[in-house]
Amino acid sequence: MAFTLYSLLQAALLCVNAIAVLHEERFLKNIGWGTDQGIGGFGEEPGIKSQLTNLIRSVRTVMRVPLIIVNSVAIVLLLLFG
Amino acid sequence: MPASKRRIPVSPPGMADPHQLFDDTSSAQSRGFGAQRGPGGLGYPAAAASPQEAFLADPVSNMAMAYGSSLAAQGKELVDKNIDRFIPVTKLKYYFAVDTMYVGKKLGLLFFPYLHQDWEVQYQQDTPVAPRFDINAPDLYIPAMAFITYILVAGLALGTQDRFSPDLLGLQASSALAWLTLEVLAILLSLYLLTVNTDLTTIDLVAFLGYKYVGMIGGVLMGLLFGKIGYYLVLGWCCVSIFVFMIRTLRLKILAEAAAQGVPVRGARNQLRMYLTMAVAAAQPLLMYWLTFHLVR
Repeated sequence: MAFTLYSLLQAALLCVNAIAVLHEERFLKNIGWGTDQGIGGFGEEPGIKSQLTNLIRSVRTVMRVPLIIVNSVAIVLLLLFG
Repeated sequence: MPASKRRIPVSPPGMADPHQLFDDTSSAQSRGFGAQRGPGGLGYPAAAASPQEAFLADPVSNMAMAYGSSLAAQGKELVDKNIDRFIPVTKLKYYFAVDTMYVGKKLGLLFFPYLHQDWEVQYQQDTPVAPRFDINAPDLYIPAMAFITYILVAGLALGTQDRFSPDLLGLQASSALAWLTLEVLAILLSLYLLTVNTDLTTIDLVAFLGYKYVGMIGGVLMGLLFGKIGYYLVLGWCCVSIFVFMIRTLRLKILAEAAAQGVPVRGARNQLRMYLTMAVAAAQPLLMYWLTFHLVR
């Protein structure tokens, strides 16, 4: 069974990259997951969809610069060591 | 003055935590100084006092000793301050404040949770009581020891089948840790998406998810002794026990309001939380089987 911590790290990097490439205007708005659509306001607690859209927006904002660095390091390492 | 002379030959005693997590087990001679942390890591046994006293009588070496111990104390403070930023050491100490009685009772609870009535964690002035005083509190000692034992038992099982090689041990450890990390991340994500207001911390979660290693060890050992029949029987028993244990424990943490009144859950919100609890509990037997079936042939 080859499920190691390293493969988990690789999978996490790929997942975060996948979230980072979801374009706000071209894609998320068209499927109704844009950040200015349907935010419930205060009062009752947010549903799953608004939690998800908030999560996607936060991941995109926070991980933008670190992803550049981590991706560059990963590319260089994979080129050198296969 | 006598205090500065006697501080040095004493080995560092147990921590004098304000919440008294650990008993003070320092020897009788140093009992009076058990409350203060001795500087530096110089641990001389108390019985060898006389050669040290003759050595310390020399004023130059006395000063050198004092300087060295103060330097070591500064270094220790620096390390402690920096380490506390990355790993919450004080919080971790709570999870290791266990004693033999607690471990014995908890292991019994993990194998037979059906008769236990009260699953609430007791609180003491807004902080949870240390595990040694409350059997329902999560601890990290049992999961950590069970994990290490699982790796060793896996090595034993592979060895009896002539399939052993040292890197396989590392592979087993890495695989089990990767599954644990994945579980913790998945549960944290689900708790965030369902906006569950719970006091379940990440370390609590790691502790609860680590309890399944105990059942896994039992299953593999029985499989080694009695073959596949023994393995399936014991693993089946441990799977059901862990399922019941997790449901009863997580119900109080995730479904706090509904469980407190003891009413069956209603409403979409509570239903989703019930599904989450069931999913977490159901994942335990699956993982227990997945991580051990290749060890028993």
